[in-house]
Amino acid sequence: MNLKDYLKDKLINILILLLSYFIVLMLLIAFKVKISLIFVITFIFLITNILLIMEDYYKKKKFYNNILNNINKLDKAYLVLETINKPEFYEGKIVYQILYEINKSMCENVNLIEEQLLDFKDYIEMWIHEVKRPLASLSLTLSNKNKLLDIKTKAILKNLEDYLEQVLYYVRCENAASDFFIKEVDLGNIIKNVGIRNMDDLLNNKVDFKVEKINVKVYTDSKWLEFILNQIINNSIKYKKGKNSYIKIYALDNPDTIKLIIEDNGIGIPKSDIKEVFKKTFTGENGRIVPSATGMGLYIAKNLCSKLGHKIEIESVYQEYTKVSITFAKNKFYDVLK
Amino acid sequence: MSKIMIIEDDEVLSLELKELLTLNGYEVELVKDFKNTIEAILNYNPDLLLLDINIPYLNGEVILQNLRKKSNVPVIMVTSRNTDMDEALSISLGADDYITKPYNPNILLLRINAILKRVNRISNIINYKTLIINTQNGTIKNQDKEIILTKNEMIIFAYLLNNKDKIVKRDELMTSLWNNEEFINDNALTVNISRLRSKLSKLGYNNIIETRKGQGYIIS
Repeated sequence: MNLKDYLKDKLINILILLLSYFIVLMLLIAFKVKISLIFVITFIFLITNILLIMEDYYKKKKFYNNILNNINKLDKAYLVLETINKPEFYEGKIVYQILYEINKSMCENVNLIEEQLLDFKDYIEMWIHEVKRPLASLSLTLSNKNKLLDIKTKAILKNLEDYLEQVLYYVRCENAASDFFIKEVDLGNIIKNVGIRNMDDLLNNKVDFKVEKINVKVYTDSKWLEFILNQIINNSIKYKKGKNSYIKIYALDNPDTIKLIIEDNGIGIPKSDIKEVFKKTFTGENGRIVPSATGMGLYIAKNLCSKLGHKIEIESVYQEYTKVSITFAKNKFYDVLK
Repeated sequence: MSKIMIIEDDEVLSLELKELLTLNGYEVELVKDFKNTIEAILNYNPDLLLLDINIPYLNGEVILQNLRKKSNVPVIMVTSRNTDMDEALSISLGADDYITKPYNPNILLLRINAILKRVNRISNIINYKTLIINTQNGTIKNQDKEIILTKNEMIIFAYLLNNKDKIVKRDELMTSLWNNEEFINDNALTVNISRLRSKLSKLGYNNIIETRKGQGYIIS
């Protein structure tokens, strides 16, 4: 709030005051009042009016500037009402009341939506757990009935499971209240689990799974990490190139970090696309080749990584290789505790 | 014959599980009345328990907690809840393993086998006809000769011997190998089997590993 704009706003009041002053002045002159008295009256008129305007200006300035400053300082602007005192003047009281009502109604709305979102998330989680039962029955029934479950059926079951899982983790990664659980886990064991899970896919697609002896432990949520690695390996299988395909997995043990690298010799990612791969629903050039690309896998993986505090990066030369790395911080604090 | 008890309220799933385990040489009992689960377990006295978490009346975690006051029977939690938090809770309550649905049947069998082996302290020595097989140091002894198998060959041979008189599918062997972090491909499996065969024939056992076309392998 500045004086210039305030005065501009008060222009009509000031003009009316001046007008009344001139009428009084004319009258005084017409009645031949002494010039010294006219001066005194003019002086009193000026002083009182300037004081009145100034008083009004500073009162309002204090209130509004306080709100404006606090809004700028807060990251959640809607909390501003909590930071100011209730004003004493009538206009301010009205503004305060309005802000209060707006704030209240917004909070109610936000709470309602948050509740709905949480309900929805719970429902999806529950639904997925429910759906996994018949899926487990189905896969057992099929494998019992038919000793040699054919490749196609297995692939369909695996697909179904992967898509279900993707929804589950999408819900988890988009939600503020995420239920992950960080503990020390054996990286080799996680890779083994992901490997077995994708064994049929890897073998049928003739993609060699080369894992260097990985004997390191990292702090992470093992289920989340398995999901992330599963997305990366799925991509490597999906975007393989011709013969002698492989996925190579190894870990670099640096002084402060552990870097897990998943490298393939697939079709790679065009340079123009590489910056976009972690974006939601981005499928790019390669998405046109493989119709089942959803553009969600890497987006969710990135999101989960940032929640877990890992860094995920991707590097690729088109038609040659793709290299995804996940960097885990070594936690010295935990080592001290041991 | 090891006795396994299944506590699972999904009827189809529990029947299929029973079939799978029976086919693989286990004696299986299903719990049908979930009101007195703990009594049922103690009465049957199984060697291993497959316990679902979401079951009627008391959930699996509570059952496990109460069971542990009375029995040390190995328990594998089988559930569709797939968070580390749930897993940690089950393990802290005394579960021996935790498997999430939908599971790979081969993996389930391997995990069951591993736990039973640990609990029963099954030795690393397998006897087959005149052969003495030491899975620990990878040797096969005849009366006069001893040969050494590679890790992969031993995994394959041990798996076939543990499933004697049964056709073993290639993907069962594959799962067993991958479960031991030997991520080999189809060709390598074929090569390993033929090497194993030629090593065995040096000990005078030709063709003990028979191929059943389109089905798998069998040792009888």
